[in-house]
Amino acid sequence: MAQRFDVLGLIGLVLLVAVWQLLTFAIPLIALPHPAHVAERIGEDFIVADYLLFYGLPETGLLDSMIYTTQNVLIAVALGATVGTVCGLVTARFDLIRAVIDPVLLVLGTIPILVLAPFFLIWFGTGRTSAVLLVAIYVAVILYIYAQRAASTLNPVYEDAAYTLGASRRRVVWDVLIKGTVPQILGGIRIALAGAWGLEAIAELLGAQQGIGKIVQVLAGSTDMEGIFAALLVLGILAVVFDAFTARFFSYVSAWSVEARTGGG
Amino acid sequence: MARAADGRDVIVASNLSRTFRRADRQMVTALDDVTFGIDRGQFVCLVGPSGCGKSTLLKLIAGLMLPSSGALEVEGESVTQPGPERGMVFQQDSVFPWLRVIDNVEYGLKCRGVGRAERRKSAEFYLERVGLSHVARAWPRELSGGMLKRVAVATVFANGANVLLLDEPFGAVDYVTKRNLHDVLLALWTEAGSTERRTVVFVTHDVDEALILADRILVMHSGRIVDDLAVTAPRPRTTDGLMEPTMVRHKHVLLAHLGLENLQGDAKAPTGGEGTEP
Ligand SMILES: Nc1ncnc2c1ncn2[C@@H]1O[C@H](COP(=O)(O)OP(=O)(O)O)[C@@H](O)[C@H]1O
Ligand SMILES: [Mg+2]
Repeated sequence: MAQRFDVLGLIGLVLLVAVWQLLTFAIPLIALPHPAHVAERIGEDFIVADYLLFYGLPETGLLDSMIYTTQNVLIAVALGATVGTVCGLVTARFDLIRAVIDPVLLVLGTIPILVLAPFFLIWFGTGRTSAVLLVAIYVAVILYIYAQRAASTLNPVYEDAAYTLGASRRRVVWDVLIKGTVPQILGGIRIALAGAWGLEAIAELLGAQQGIGKIVQVLAGSTDMEGIFAALLVLGILAVVFDAFTARFFSYVSAWSVEARTGGG
Repeated sequence: MARAADGRDVIVASNLSRTFRRADRQMVTALDDVTFGIDRGQFVCLVGPSGCGKSTLLKLIAGLMLPSSGALEVEGESVTQPGPERGMVFQQDSVFPWLRVIDNVEYGLKCRGVGRAERRKSAEFYLERVGLSHVARAWPRELSGGMLKRVAVATVFANGANVLLLDEPFGAVDYVTKRNLHDVLLALWTEAGSTERRTVVFVTHDVDEALILADRILVMHSGRIVDDLAVTAPRPRTTDGLMEPTMVRHKHVLLAHLGLENLQGDAKAPTGGEGTEP
């Protein structure tokens, strides 16, 4: 099964590049650069990108930016997923707490990042903290909803069964509430992770010292389309590669569930 | 209707009631002033139409909910919370889908701190008894409904509860499988020897099932216990045994309680367990 999907994915990728190549005949190169040129740029800019020096950045390249952006995304997802999952599970079992937290988190989730970002930049500066916290908020909201729904739909008979078998409250939380909702929570993490790359890039665009988003921001003024495409492409590749790894890992962890078997989790 | 409690009883219910407030704000009396006692080591079947309060009574004994009024004691102690000395097989599937079959059977022992090797041995023993050794390492989703019920039975037996509460465990199981499960259940129950047998409360709406399994049948209707039959036929009981005159009489009484007397040409009206009290 997995093998076949890999082949199909490869075919999809080839098609994408082919379409891109075809489009370059219709669209001027200034708006849509040639795929081969972009690939070349990725190679050139990978370790040290000269133009960044020109824009006043320290000696750096795509690789450093990828590492910085990836670190931020992973920290933000870890932080946001932990907070969101815990809140979601707790509120699924305690209506009172839910009544308090529901509006806060759900309203927070609807505020556009463009509105939120300036405040964070003022409070936390243009370092790592701002971007990580911004992304973590959206990850937390997604996981809050996923975990809450998972725990609400988990059949209460499992908790009852655990208690009649002699399980303590702590055990029931870990062995039933958490283990029983793992596939859906991991599904939520996968979705949050996919979105986190874009959010992180936006957060960096709006104010950062490093990262893929910073490169895009620097180049946007110069209309260096090849450079921008190179940066966006490595970001996309990062997202795809990480998604593939998490999907593998998650389907292994959720092997027991029907969702995992059908690829839904 | 049911015999009042005496000193030998494991389970003693006095004027037990339980009401629910439904979502539409209507109050429902699921259990209405029920008093009874259950002997140690007895196999008691609880029979009644659906919605008469059988599951509610079982959940009260299990400690999964508290009575609205009245008292309930198990082994002389008031029931306030669930505990491993009262095992339960639920009407719904309760086998944890996220644990392999053998880990499910071990779960109670693990909770109670039994060592790895010992609990594995015990789980293997009970899985073998319910005929599921070959799927020990399988995921529950790979098992049929009847197999899941057997896993649940093995789990409560492995956990060594003194009181077993079974809520229509074989309700959704086909006839042949059900008969096999009866044999498995009775074998597990009998082999302990009559002095240390576990007390079983088995809920069913299947009259034949009750007659095959029970020492005693409590009949419920609208939240009350309306009859109490002692079934003294020798074991093992067979389908032929169900055609013995006393069994046929019991069956007529039970069917009448379930509102089926008109379908039985020669059935008598309910007699309150005529000729059946010990
Ligand atoms: N949690 C609950 N909330 C509201 N009503 C309930 C609840 N549990 C049971 N009832 C009601 O109590 C009555 C008895 O239910 P139950 O004990 O499940 O019956 P049985 O197991 O005999 O079919 C029914 O009328 C049912 O609707
Ligand atoms: Mg029921």
